[in-house]
Amino acid sequence: MLGTTSRDEKTRIMKRTLCTAGILSAITVQTSCMQIETVEAWDRGYLAEDTMQWETDARSARLKGHVYTSKEASTGGAGAAGGGCGCN
Amino acid sequence: MNPLHSNSAFVRSLTRTLATLPAYQTGAALADAPPAFTEVGVRYSHYSEDDIDASSVIFGATSRYDIDITQLWIEAPVGASWSVALDVQNDYQTGASPWFVGTDQNGQPGVIMSGASIQDNRVEVGVATRYFWADGNAGLNVSHSDEDDYEALSMAFDASWNTAGNTRTWTTSVSNSRDKVNPTQGVIPVFVTNEALDTQSGYFGVSQILSRTAIVRVGLNYTYSDGYLSDPYKLNDQRPQSHERIALSTGYRHFLIDANASVQFDYRYYADSWGVDSHTVELGWAQHFERTTLTPYFRYYSQREADFFQVVADLNEPHFADDYRLSSYGAMTVGARWAINLGDWTLEIEGERYWSDANWGLYDGDPAPALVDFWRGTIAIMWRFD
Repeated sequence: MLGTTSRDEKTRIMKRTLCTAGILSAITVQTSCMQIETVEAWDRGYLAEDTMQWETDARSARLKGHVYTSKEASTGGAGAAGGGCGCN
Repeated sequence: MNPLHSNSAFVRSLTRTLATLPAYQTGAALADAPPAFTEVGVRYSHYSEDDIDASSVIFGATSRYDIDITQLWIEAPVGASWSVALDVQNDYQTGASPWFVGTDQNGQPGVIMSGASIQDNRVEVGVATRYFWADGNAGLNVSHSDEDDYEALSMAFDASWNTAGNTRTWTTSVSNSRDKVNPTQGVIPVFVTNEALDTQSGYFGVSQILSRTAIVRVGLNYTYSDGYLSDPYKLNDQRPQSHERIALSTGYRHFLIDANASVQFDYRYYADSWGVDSHTVELGWAQHFERTTLTPYFRYYSQREADFFQVVADLNEPHFADDYRLSSYGAMTVGARWAINLGDWTLEIEGERYWSDANWGLYDGDPAPALVDFWRGTIAIMWRFD
């Protein structure tokens, strides 16, 4: 999977993977320890508001993400990557 | 008219309760059902980069890119358990970009621009379908992007399922993209023909309802690319043939009942095999009014430079690049989104300003002379009907 990546790069990506997994685990544990209330189905009106969604408008968010991806070195986030472009 | 956006407080209150019925539910950790309406929409956006500072340019134009973007879509329920969507996007871009960084008579780095003659048109067509069942949904998306010098065919599959009494939603997605690079000859010479790039990506995440007004999520995204990853329109750009990327993202939403507003918080940590690290934080405040919602937002971004980035590229290294996008810098974005409900129609207006500066970053590094500032404006109109 690492293809032509050098040994140093492999080591670094492994360290970062472990570090990221550690942070993820810590957040997951913290989340599971948060005060979680039982919310009945009929009491989720506020959660159903557009502005409570992860993306208020998925198409607008995709366009915004595309602009940032074209101008910054970072990509990815809450979903798998899409196709590339010749943006420069 | 979407009753959740009614100008009557009573109707809003009543329909918040009705919204918990499956036909109205679209959010995370809620029972799943196709959209209740067919939606047709069109969005126009204009992206405009500021001119580059003339003192940073050794030769060439100081103007940079302008892009006109048009999006058209239709999304509709099919039967009781399916939805389909068709998206078409056209980008028309014109302007100039940095070709390479050299040194002037005083030994100071400066940019040689490509000339203001670049024109390109990109058309992307995407088709998606989604199946819904009582505890989740799954979707398949195929898209094709074509421009004069670049073609990409991508496919993505995602699935979400709810547990813990529908208070917890697990989400996973995988995607594959096959890209072909065929740079066009213009004012500047290009030495690349018929290159290819394959990208695979995966995501796994979970969101949890914390209360009737709060929800949180966390997720991890891994992406691997193999093939041609350099920029063919930059003279001194030779990047590794593979690229591994990890992004850890978290988000939090909180509805403030008294203020009738939502607080939106998102954070992403990114790291890759080229030595780039970054932090991205975005904060939004979505204020509901009778018929409209106004959402001002602020975004901060900071990245560490790639291992092979140099302000003036050293061509003796195995990999080198002077692309400002691989340098250390920080960036701030201030924007606002305004959604106006007009019965069955919704009008959206959005604008943002992006500034970048080497001194705003969290990481050390030599400042690249071509960092970009830009404006983006968007107007969209959507029509929903049974």
